[in-house]
Amino acid sequence: MPNKSLSIRQSFGDTLVKLARSNPQIYVVSADLKSSVKLSEFARKFPKRFIECGVAENNAAGVAAGLAHTGKTVFLASYSCFSPAINWATIKQSISYNHSNVKIIGSHSGLLSTALGSTHQMLEDIALMRSLPNMQVFSPADAYDTQKIITTIAASPLPAYVRLVRANTPLFTDPRTKFTIGIATILQQGKDITIIGHGPVLHQALTLQSSFSIEIINCPSIKPLDNETILKSVKKTGRLIVIEDHQKNGGLGEAIATMILESGLSPKFIHLAIDNRFGQSGHDPNQLYEHYGISSKNLLDAINKLSND
Amino acid sequence: MILSQSGPSLKELSRQLRLDLLDMIYQSGHGHIGGSLSALNPIIAVYFSPIFNFKKDHFVLSAGHLCPALYVVLAKAAYFPKDLLSSYSSFGSILQGHVSTQVPGVEYSSGSLGQGLSFAAGLALGDKSHTTICLTSDGEHNEGQIWEAAMFASKYKLGNLINIVDHNKYQIDGSTDQIMPTNDLAAKYIRFGWTVLTVNGDNINQVINTLKKAKNSNYPVCIIANTTYGKGISFMQYDFKYHSVDNLSQNLYLRARKEILNAK
Repeated sequence: MPNKSLSIRQSFGDTLVKLARSNPQIYVVSADLKSSVKLSEFARKFPKRFIECGVAENNAAGVAAGLAHTGKTVFLASYSCFSPAINWATIKQSISYNHSNVKIIGSHSGLLSTALGSTHQMLEDIALMRSLPNMQVFSPADAYDTQKIITTIAASPLPAYVRLVRANTPLFTDPRTKFTIGIATILQQGKDITIIGHGPVLHQALTLQSSFSIEIINCPSIKPLDNETILKSVKKTGRLIVIEDHQKNGGLGEAIATMILESGLSPKFIHLAIDNRFGQSGHDPNQLYEHYGISSKNLLDAINKLSND
Repeated sequence: MILSQSGPSLKELSRQLRLDLLDMIYQSGHGHIGGSLSALNPIIAVYFSPIFNFKKDHFVLSAGHLCPALYVVLAKAAYFPKDLLSSYSSFGSILQGHVSTQVPGVEYSSGSLGQGLSFAAGLALGDKSHTTICLTSDGEHNEGQIWEAAMFASKYKLGNLINIVDHNKYQIDGSTDQIMPTNDLAAKYIRFGWTVLTVNGDNINQVINTLKKAKNSNYPVCIIANTTYGKGISFMQYDFKYHSVDNLSQNLYLRARKEILNAK
C-alpha cells in the first residue's frame, strides 16, 4: 500500500483547470471560498469563466442554474455545510427540478474538517442530496477517485453532487482503473465479511490486522448505487459492515440496507457512522474517528461481533 | 408573439385573457387568482409587444403561483392548445399548479419564491446578446435571495436583465404593509445599483413603453409595476383572501364574468 497522501480538494481544483483548457463551456460559480476549495488557479487562468457570488449560496445556486441553461457546464463550489446545506431548496427547484447542468462541489465534509468544529463538519450532505430526484451523489475515496469523478461528470449534462474533504488523505485506490457512474470497486477480495464505505474513512479497512477474509468495496457512486457488486459480495459473505464519515440517518448504510432488504437477502449488518450527534473540534482525525465510532478499532470490534454470531 | 396591436385592441386582448383566466380557475376548481389578475397585463405587455423575441430572449416567472396569467398568454400565443387551460392543476396536466417547463414556452419551473431572479441573472450573464425578463411579486421581496441576486446583477452590470415587480401590495396572509412592509422598493433597488422605472402596471401600453426604455440599459433595470390586486373583479380587488380560490361559487363566477365583460 503506498504511503502517500494528497489533498482531495487540490485534486478537484487541478482537474478542473485541466478540463477547462480543452472545454470552454466549463464555468465555476463560487461563494467566496475559491482559495479553500482550490480554485485560485482556475480563477487566475479563466477569469471570465469564474463567477464570484460572495457569501450568498442561494443566489449562487440560482445563478449556476441559469448559466447552465445557456449551455455551460457549471461547477458550483463551496463547503458542503453551506452548499448544499443553506441552499438546498434552491438546488431542489433551480437545479434538480429544472434539470440544470450544475455540479455541486461540497468541500470540508465529514469529521475531517477537524479543528473547525461542528458547524463546519457537514455530516448530513449525503442525506440531503440522496433524497433529490435527478441528483447523482458521489464521494471520492482519495485524490485519484476525485480526478476520475470530476472528469466523468464534466462530460455529462446531468446534475451531480460531489462530496470532498479538507484534509490531506491517503492515496489507496488504483489510478489505472476506470471510474464508471453506478459502479463500485472491489479493493480487496475476501469471503467472510464485506466492508463497504465511501471517502477517506474507508482507508482504515485496508490497514486491519484480522484473521478473517475481508472483502473491501469502495463505493464512490452513492447514487446511483452499484446493486450488483454489493449483492454479489453480500450473498457470498453473509456479513456486512458499512462505514462512513456521515450521519447514520440518510447515509450510504441506509441506502444499502434498504436495497439489500428489498432484494430478499438478510445479511448480518453493522453500520458504523455518526449516530445522531454533532461533531466537535479536534486536531487528530483518528481521535475524532474513535470518539464517534468510525475508527479502525470500531471496525475490528464490528468484525469480531459479526463473526461470533 | 407579436400582435402589433394599437391601444384598444390590446385592451380587448386583456379582457379576453382575463376571461380565460377566470374560466380556467373556475373550471379547474382551484387557482391563485388575486396575483394572477394583477400580473396579467404586465405579462401581456411582455409577450404581445414587438420588443422581444422569445425564441431568443428569456422570460422567467419567479412567482410560479402566478402561472394562470402566463398560461392564458402562452395559449393565446399558440404555444399550446387553448382547450388545455381547463386542466390547470389537475392530475396529469402539463399545466401544473406552479409553473413548470413541461409547458411549451416555459423556460424555468418555479414555485418556491425568491429563486427566479438568481436564475434570470445566470441566464443574463450567460447570454449577453439577448434580454432576460424576470417577473417577481412584491411579497416575494421578503426573501433574502432576491437581494442576493440584486447585488449580483449590479456587480456583473447585467444591463440585459429586467426585473418586473408586480407591486399589487398584497401577499398570502394580508397586505404587504401588515405582513412585511416593502417600504420604498424603488429606493432599495436604486441603492443596490439598479436603474428603476415606475409604471402603472395595469396599463399595458405604459408597460410596453417602459419595457422599451428598459431594454437598452447599462445597468439591470427594475420596473416597479404598480398593479391592482384582483384586477377587474370588484369583490376580489384589495381582498387578500383571494390569493387563491377553491371551488368559486357559480354566482360569484357569473358576477365576475359580467364585470370583466362590461368593463370599459
